[in-house]
Amino acid sequence: MTILSIFNTELLVAMVRLSTPITLAAIGATICERSGVVNIAMEGIMIVGAFFAAVVAYFTGNPWLGLLAGVISGGVYSLIHAAATVSLHLDHVVSGAVLNVLAFGLTRYLMVLTFGHPGTSEPIALTLNDYQFAIPGLSRIPVLGPIFFNQTPIVYLSFILILFFTWFLKKTKTGLHVRASGEHPLALETIGVSVYRMRYLGVLISGLMGGLAGAYLSIENSASFTEGMTNGKGFIAMAAMISGGWQPIGAFLASLFFGFADALQIRFQVFKVLQVPEEIFIVFPYIATLVAVAGLVRRSRPPKADGVDFMIERADD
Amino acid sequence: MKKKQTIAAVLLGAVIVLGTVGSVLWLGATVKSGQSSYFWGIWVIVAAIPLYLWRVLLLNGSEELRSLVVRSIRSVGVPIAGIVIAIVIGGILMLLTGYNPITAYGALFYGGLVRNWHISVLNAAPLIFTGLSIAVAFKAGLFNIGAEGQYYIGAMAAAWLGLNLNLPAVITLVLVFVIAGVLAAAWNIVPALLKVRTGAHEVITTMMLAHTARYLSPIFIRAYGGDPSTSTHPYVTDEIFPTNWLPSFDSFLPNANYRLHTGILVAIVVAIAVNYLIYQTKIGFEIRAVGQNKDAARAQGISIGRNIFRALLIAGFLAGLAGVNQVTGLDHKLFENLNANYGWNGISVALLAGGSPIGVIFTSLIWGILDAGGQFMSRTTQTPNAIVEIVKGIILFLVVAKYIYVYLGEWIKNRRKRSIV
Amino acid sequence: MTDQTASMRKVILETRDIVKRFPKVLANENVNITLYEGEILSLLGENGAGKSTLMNVLYGLYKPTSGEIFLNGVPAIFSSPKEAIRMGLGMVHQHFMLVDTLTVTENIILGSEPGAGVQIDYKQARRQVKELSDRHGLKIDPDAKIENLSVGLQQRVEILKALYRKARILILDEPTAVLTPQEVEELFSVVRDLRKSGVSVIIITHKLEEVKAISDRVYILRRGRIEGERITAEVNKEELANLMVGRSVVLTVHREPHEAHPEPVFEVENLHVVDDRNIAVVKNLSLEVRPGEVVGIAGVDGNGQSELAEAIMGLRPASGGRMIHLGDDITNLRTKDRIARSIGYVPADRQRYGLILSMTIAENIAMGYHDRPPNSHGWQLDYTAMEEQADDLITQFDIRTPGALVPAGHLSGGNQQKVILAREFSRKPTFLLVSQPTRGLDVGAIEYIHSEILGMRRKDVGVLLISLELEEIFALADRILVLYEGAIVRELIPEKTNEREVGFFMTGGTEKAS
Repeated sequence: MTILSIFNTELLVAMVRLSTPITLAAIGATICERSGVVNIAMEGIMIVGAFFAAVVAYFTGNPWLGLLAGVISGGVYSLIHAAATVSLHLDHVVSGAVLNVLAFGLTRYLMVLTFGHPGTSEPIALTLNDYQFAIPGLSRIPVLGPIFFNQTPIVYLSFILILFFTWFLKKTKTGLHVRASGEHPLALETIGVSVYRMRYLGVLISGLMGGLAGAYLSIENSASFTEGMTNGKGFIAMAAMISGGWQPIGAFLASLFFGFADALQIRFQVFKVLQVPEEIFIVFPYIATLVAVAGLVRRSRPPKADGVDFMIERADD
Repeated sequence: MKKKQTIAAVLLGAVIVLGTVGSVLWLGATVKSGQSSYFWGIWVIVAAIPLYLWRVLLLNGSEELRSLVVRSIRSVGVPIAGIVIAIVIGGILMLLTGYNPITAYGALFYGGLVRNWHISVLNAAPLIFTGLSIAVAFKAGLFNIGAEGQYYIGAMAAAWLGLNLNLPAVITLVLVFVIAGVLAAAWNIVPALLKVRTGAHEVITTMMLAHTARYLSPIFIRAYGGDPSTSTHPYVTDEIFPTNWLPSFDSFLPNANYRLHTGILVAIVVAIAVNYLIYQTKIGFEIRAVGQNKDAARAQGISIGRNIFRALLIAGFLAGLAGVNQVTGLDHKLFENLNANYGWNGISVALLAGGSPIGVIFTSLIWGILDAGGQFMSRTTQTPNAIVEIVKGIILFLVVAKYIYVYLGEWIKNRRKRSIV
Repeated sequence: MTDQTASMRKVILETRDIVKRFPKVLANENVNITLYEGEILSLLGENGAGKSTLMNVLYGLYKPTSGEIFLNGVPAIFSSPKEAIRMGLGMVHQHFMLVDTLTVTENIILGSEPGAGVQIDYKQARRQVKELSDRHGLKIDPDAKIENLSVGLQQRVEILKALYRKARILILDEPTAVLTPQEVEELFSVVRDLRKSGVSVIIITHKLEEVKAISDRVYILRRGRIEGERITAEVNKEELANLMVGRSVVLTVHREPHEAHPEPVFEVENLHVVDDRNIAVVKNLSLEVRPGEVVGIAGVDGNGQSELAEAIMGLRPASGGRMIHLGDDITNLRTKDRIARSIGYVPADRQRYGLILSMTIAENIAMGYHDRPPNSHGWQLDYTAMEEQADDLITQFDIRTPGALVPAGHLSGGNQQKVILAREFSRKPTFLLVSQPTRGLDVGAIEYIHSEILGMRRKDVGVLLISLELEEIFALADRILVLYEGAIVRELIPEKTNEREVGFFMTGGTEKAS
């Protein structure tokens, strides 16, 4: 097989599939940071979501319940970060790091409890991958059709969520409040809207989205839970958020880029087109992320109060 | 007051001697049979404490002594409280999931502190290095999350040098440490440059390079691949030359476990050196200034870029030493050890120590004890080892939350202008 | 002023024995004030007297430790600004509560957005904003981004914010701090118009002239208590000042004539500086400072002052022109080297650029010279030497602190500024750049700092003073340079001009007008 033959529609389909968890996590992180909270715990949230999605899907035989479990567990886990940063005024990066560490320990313990051994869970019989379907009409558009419109449920969900959050930020009242909370929280507070509430919301959204991303990893993109299956995707999602200029659509485009790098890397490995150790390919997406962050970061600017603690001396000191 | 000065100097000398001897005895012990050096070591160290306090009293007066004691208790009190609470919560969790916390914790502490003390110490050594790495970066306001990657680079460099250098013992060992450390520091050049030039967040850049380093190690191992017939592990390099091995304690403490090597002593010395660097030198002052208020530092002519560079490179060097420690001390080869987690645990011990280099020594030991004890516990009581991970996570959360909250609370009250209309 | 007799006036706001205690300070002590409908009331007091705290209590940002508030006779202690706003209170803060990246409309409607469900009805919002701005004569472009507006216009947006929410009581906190004399006049006419339409106004200020110019009645606060209440027309400035500070204070620093040396110590030639967005903010600026004189740069905030200061200190590159110190071209010199050349700098934002609050006083004083003896030998710091020097300076500058090892953040604003002065002055500068040195300080500290600056002048140091307070410039400067849009448009001698004339040039006025 020659190098060029790798570049076909299959590659682009894989690009969309591989970019989906990054897109979801990146959009979640975007909303979180727009509200003013830095969240480097996306990796940990994703692994928590992946675990609970897999467990519920396995024991109930219903992948949709698994999906729900993944989303909810991610949301609940993220509330710890919210409480730590917003109410306890903990440094955002420190809290995120701690939650990452905790997440891996927690999932391992629960793994042993539920399945009796660490590593990989038992395979799940029915996954969301079995629910792939093509949207009639749209899926027949040349090139774009098979890539975007013949996919699995969470992928479609991700498209909807991109549009939803873009609308949310631009057009809704709460969206405006979230934006203000990340730029000038005091202005928001003095006009009567609770910054704490907006930041909790921002973090919760990133938790739900991260849980969804994790669920995708375990019950749609594969059929089991493996420890460490996030493999740095949470951090790549952060890079996508930054490269995308803290906008949902930008995050999506950046995630596509990283998904492309990942898809390419796999194809190089599988089809052995180059006589190079396979690990060179595995690291390609990470290097690509590095380059992207280096090059693009100059152009985008984070929300002004991002990562800045907000403390109000209200009611009593 | 010439007399006072000489007494103070003598005391200092005594503290250093006792501290060193005590540490060697204590750390180099194993208590399989005849507990001699373990307990001797502890008592010697304990004896050094009143001498040190006496010196403080002599030089600085009783007021200073009292505030020192209060401060020490306060800084130790928070982590200890966190540990106790986390252990209790862990115990409750065990009860709820059907395990017996008493037997489990009993096994854990017996294993970690007594039976497998040597494993605790072996675990602690690399953590001290990575913990120092994170702590130094913290001082500059940076997050060297990719310490894991620098660890791998250090390990690979040590293995490569160890396989190729064959000079007399001390020289070659020093060379290995220094060169491998420098190479690991170099792994942080790109993130440092990017941070200074473009403001790229070091969390992402060092993390990406960490994943890269992790995947480069199998390539290295295959290139220097070991003989499969002599080892059950398929992915390992050849053994490095014996002169490149860190001496083990049993060469001067016959009761010590044969695997317990002197890396821990190297780590402690390095920690003391880092402490000196941060708090007693110009460079340390500049790094701290940049970390605490880079605008004011810059206005006084301190170069932000240069100090970010310094901090990240020093951090890389230290994390690399963790890898050297493992290769020259423990394995004498490079195993494919993809889930070493020294980087993440380094973050934990640094946070637990509140960023203090000396504190990192103790929190690493605690972590080492928990790990060794956890393994012993899971082998003898069938309680899953992962409960230790959860306990660690809770300790971390509690300690960090308390520290920052107390610290921040004081700081807020004095910065009247912030967020208060 | 008022065309209603006292007996016919309705009390719309009243506080009874308000006490507000913070952990370290008693901010308000038994404060009783009354606001009548349709009057302009001013609250006078120096910095730290408790005026802003009282207003924050009214507005629901703080809960009073004890006491009562009555709005139209009904008890009204608000637990959040939301309630206060609902009951007709509006507040324009000293530091604007505007989100830079959002538009005028978005800022005005924030928190009270029109629209039936979750979505914002932007069309209606724009319409409402336009209508409001027309009705009150407050012209504004509804789609402009705040970051592109002048300070005067931003304040207008803040007022519109309050009016949008149908405020009947408008509180203005130090509204003229950032305005030119002309803009102040405009503001006052807006306030008088508002009064005509039935809005009652409370103005918080520390400026005596403003109290006399605009208000009907005045309460004077000192150290958290009401020192007196007067009808403005019946009281003079001396009495107000007396009540405000507790003793006679007008300008007690006296600038005696002092001959400056003819050869300048510092010169700027055709300096050109761009800001972070690559826009030119200092354009072709030239000036010179001679040893023994204070040159004051007067200008409205945002005309290039901070960029000029940064360029002089090497914190921002010059994109054109030269800077010369003692005959040497220092245009491309690093900050470190400029400091080493005995150029001293007192920055405008003392807590951000002047001090590291978490470090000790000794460390802060040593910073900048920390890499040379006696502060360090070789690579090692000498803490004993640093402490000794700090102790000396603490005595010399009368810095109120338990010791040199106290973190700088524990000191009051005035003492923090003293630490900075101590550091800079002890390095025996030949040229001193001082920016906004007395911002946020009480009268005692202001006096001290002014006399210190004049002391440097007496020692033949060349001082370049950048200030937004015309009073300060007139008190200290030998020559006044007016800065407008990045260039010096006029040089004036304080004895031969007045604030009005300076203000005229500050806003871009040119020769022809009077």
